[in-house]
Order: sequence, then structure tokens, then C-alpha cells
Amino acid sequence: MNNRRFARTAGWLVLPCVVAAGLLAWYVTREPASPFEQQQATSFDPALVSRGEYVARVSDCVACHSLPGKTPFAGGLEMATPLGAIHATNVTPDREHGIGAYSLADFDRAVRHGVAPGGRRLYPAMPYPSYVKLSDDDIQALYAFFMKGVQPANQPNIPSDIPWPLNLRWPIALWNGVFAPTATYAAKPGQDALWNRGAYIVQGPGHCGSCHTPRGLAFNEKALDESGAPFLAGALLDGWYAPSLRQDHNTGLGRWSEEQIVQFLKTGRNQHAVVYGSMTEAFNNSTQFMQDDDLAAIARYLKSLPGDPQRDGSPWQYQVATARQDAPGAHIYATRCASCHGLDGKGQPDWMPPLAGATSALATENASAINITLNGSQRVVTAGLPDAYRMPAFREQLSDSEIADVLSYVRGTWGNHGGAVDAKAVGKLRGHTDPASSSPIILHMR
Amino acid sequence: MELRINQKAYQVDAEADTPLLWVIRDNLGMTGTKYGCGLAQCGACSVLVDGNVVRACVTPVAGVVGREITTIEAVEADDVGKRVVAAWVEHQVAQCGYCQSGQVMAATALLKHTPAPTKVQIDAAMVNLCRCGTYNAIHAAMDALAAGKETA
Repeated sequence: MNNRRFARTAGWLVLPCVVAAGLLAWYVTREPASPFEQQQATSFDPALVSRGEYVARVSDCVACHSLPGKTPFAGGLEMATPLGAIHATNVTPDREHGIGAYSLADFDRAVRHGVAPGGRRLYPAMPYPSYVKLSDDDIQALYAFFMKGVQPANQPNIPSDIPWPLNLRWPIALWNGVFAPTATYAAKPGQDALWNRGAYIVQGPGHCGSCHTPRGLAFNEKALDESGAPFLAGALLDGWYAPSLRQDHNTGLGRWSEEQIVQFLKTGRNQHAVVYGSMTEAFNNSTQFMQDDDLAAIARYLKSLPGDPQRDGSPWQYQVATARQDAPGAHIYATRCASCHGLDGKGQPDWMPPLAGATSALATENASAINITLNGSQRVVTAGLPDAYRMPAFREQLSDSEIADVLSYVRGTWGNHGGAVDAKAVGKLRGHTDPASSSPIILHMR
Repeated sequence: MELRINQKAYQVDAEADTPLLWVIRDNLGMTGTKYGCGLAQCGACSVLVDGNVVRACVTPVAGVVGREITTIEAVEADDVGKRVVAAWVEHQVAQCGYCQSGQVMAATALLKHTPAPTKVQIDAAMVNLCRCGTYNAIHAAMDALAAGKETA
């Protein structure tokens, strides 16, 4: 009797578990709806393919899905994650290793929802929480480009280094349920067409927040549009500090005009700054190819995001340097830095950026200042021509304490108030970015 | 664009971002100013712009239009420059000589602003690299110049 009662009780307990497990299994493998499911015929009109190429430029697909000097879009780029390295996949129309067998609906689910055919979840290194904002028109154009505008490459994908069971993909569906939005961009009433176009590019294809928005504990971007104060408020990412794109006077775009934002994205430089760090790649591969009206739209939108004076600190104003010539940092600055950046810190705009008032000298986070001093900048390539002036790497020339001294000088002179740099912080980043180490930070979660 | 170099006007056809060094050497054929590292680290390309020493390899030519440029070719037309060259000869500073036009320009700029520089000021200003290691000779010449003791 007792046994029978036990079995009956157990049955009542097991049943909900089985049902819950079933529901979970359905949820984590289900393919989200696509508006293109019923669509049989797909257009590959040349005009559509060429528009798709532009959408691919704006979305900077090439940044991850291509390796320099290798077949375009054949994948292979290694990205460090906390669990191990993953590699961007082959997205050429090759039917075996690429996406040649994808229908438009399959493509849509992968790009906007991070779900590959069969329900397999992509890692959110693919910025589908941003790409979900892409319009149906842009998805169709992008599909046409990848099917007809890209050469197929029979190149196998590289498996990830993430060990079992961490490499199970289904839990990502739960992450998506909490953190990934599901709606495409909807124009905001009360804002004009230019602002809305800018918001669309910044939040969606441009996926600016992947670098510039701080992330939470689950590596989720803390905000995905202007409704959240952390949106584009600046974030530390793999050895670089991607600064605020809001109207912060010191650390954001508060001192930049719309025209200067356009100039920066189009030519890689303006009187305030020159692209460096990960932004060099974004410029080389993406922003310089954007149309002028799209750049103007981005500038209009970014200028509408308020800053946070509390975070930003007292507004920077230029002050004449007062430190002694033989102070440790001042001497290194005069010998190593002043030829380009000027003894007065004002640089040679627009070619060599000022350090007086520079974001990297005003932000509390000092990673960018240390990183570029250690490792220099990459070539800025505009319209196929490399630039004439580049920040050299001082990794082999200056010790940790010398770099700390000179950066403390830069971050404490001409009105800059980013704060002193500790030699230990330099040593740490030197190790992380050592090209000879077995796991340098090469590439970044975008 | 028009450049004023060594008291003479030159018409130059160059992109705005071309380094001044390339214009001086390649467009105008004045090869006394040397190309060293191209990264503002060595000082071999030092010239004077309005009396201040700059490294021509990192000076966009558009930035020096309308300003007075002096290169090693004309340094002796300047009184201070003439004294520096004489001291350099007196102290037999040069070995291979590649960096020396830059060293002379740096010394001239310092002495034009600070006729009797202290040791600290000399250390701060004379930072060009020399692969032959003529630093001791450079400092001997500078000490003599600072003290007004040169014989030439």
C-alpha cells in the first residue's frame, strides 16, 4: 500500500517535470518566426545586390567574417570569450561550409535572431541583439548580396575551443529570452526622419553599442537604445576603453559638432581625435563607406543623447603646463611625444590629435592610453591610401614605470584630469597584449 | 602652395598631409636634412620652423605654409647657427655624421631661445639619437657654447 501511494505521489511529481523539460526543449530549439517563411521566389536584382553590399558595409560584416588577405567572408577570425576562443564562420554562398543552402527565412533568423537552421543558437558575438533592428528590406538586400555578390569559398569552419558542457548552445536561448529584443526598429514619433535614420543605423546595423555600451554580468549590453542611460555611455573592452558617444563634455562627444562627427567617420580624423584601437578597423572597413546623409543622420542622433555630468566630472578647460622640464613624465613627453602632439599638448590637427582635452586623458579608465602607448596605432586606410602619420609602439622602448610616468603627466597636464597611471596597470596590459604570448588579446567581442 | 625655406620662396605641388621632410628632400632636392626613423623618434630630420625645432618627418606640409623654415643648408646664415657649427668642428663632434644636421638644428634652436642653458635645459633639449654615440662630444660642445667659451 505504502509503495503504491509512493509511486502515485512520485508520478504526480515527475509529470510536471517531464512537461517542463519538454517545454524547455521546445523553447530552446524552436526556430523563431520570420516574415519570409512563405516567400518562395527571392529577388537577386543587381540593384538589390548592390544595396545589400552597402548594408553589409554599414553592418561591418567583413570585420569578423573575413581575415586580412584571405577570401572575403570565408570566416576564421578568432574571438576571445571568457569561456574560450570562438571563430567567425564562413558566410559565403558555399553550400557545404557556407550559407549557400540558407533560404531567405533561414538567413533572417540567423542575422536578426541568432538562430541557425535546425534551431542551433549562435553566440552573441554575432551582434544579433543589434541586427534584430534591421528592416525587412535591408535583410532582403543583405541576403541578395551574400547569395549573388559574394564568391563561394569551400573553406571549413574552425570549431570553438570551448569545452563541454560549456559549449552546449541551447542555454543561449534562455539568454536570448532575457536579453535579446525581438522587434525590428520602429520609427519614433516626434523625431524627424534624419534622427530616426540615425537611430536605426546606430542601434541596428552599425551596432555601435557592441563596443561603446557597458555590459552586465551576463555580457549583455545594459541598454540597446536611447531609453536606457547606459546606452553608448562608454565601456572597457579587451584592453581598450570605447568612450562615451553621448554628450559628455569630457569623455563623450559634447565638444564635437555634428559636422565634426561626420568628418571623423568619413575621414578617420577631425580636430579632436584620430581613430585608433578597434575603431581603426571600424573606420577602415565600415564608416568611411557610409553615404554622407547616413553619416549626418548618425551625427544628429548621437547629438541627441544627453551626457551625465556626474560621471563626466568637471568640464575640461585648457591650462598651460606648469610641471618642471626635468620631472620624470615631462622629460619623456618632451623627447618621445612632443614632436607630434606638441609641447603644449595641442597636437597638429587634423593629422596628429591633441592630447590636451583628449578623451583618453580625461576618462578614469586608462586602458586606451596605456594600450596605444605600448602598441601604437594601426594604419588608417582612407580610400585605399594608408595615412602618413601613425602612433609608434613604445613597448620595446619604455619600461612600465616610464610609461606610467609619461601617461600620468599627460593625464594631469593642460587641464586634463584623468588621473595618474600605475606601473602595475601598464605591466598587466603589456602582458595581455604581448604578441609573443600564447593568448594575447587579438580580437574583440563586437 | 608656397613655402618659405631659408629666406627663399618655393612653389611646391604636394598633398596637404605630405611630410615636410619629403618635400624638402624629394621635391626641392635639399638633402642635408636626413630621413632616420620616420616616426619622430630619432631627430635626424630636425629643421627650424619660426626658430623652433620640429621633426620634419611628422610635420604635415600644410601646417607650415606662411612660416619661416630653416634647414641645415642655411644654418650658418644665422649667427647662433654659425657658432654651433664652429663649436661642432672645434670639438670634432661628428663621426659618421648622419644625425649631425639634426643635432646642429636642435642645438641652434636651444641657444636661440636660451643663450646660456643650464645642464638640465641642455639634457632636455638635446635628445636626438646618435648611433655612433657622440653624446659626450655633443655635451662638450654644448657646455662650451653655453659658457660662451668656444674659440672659433
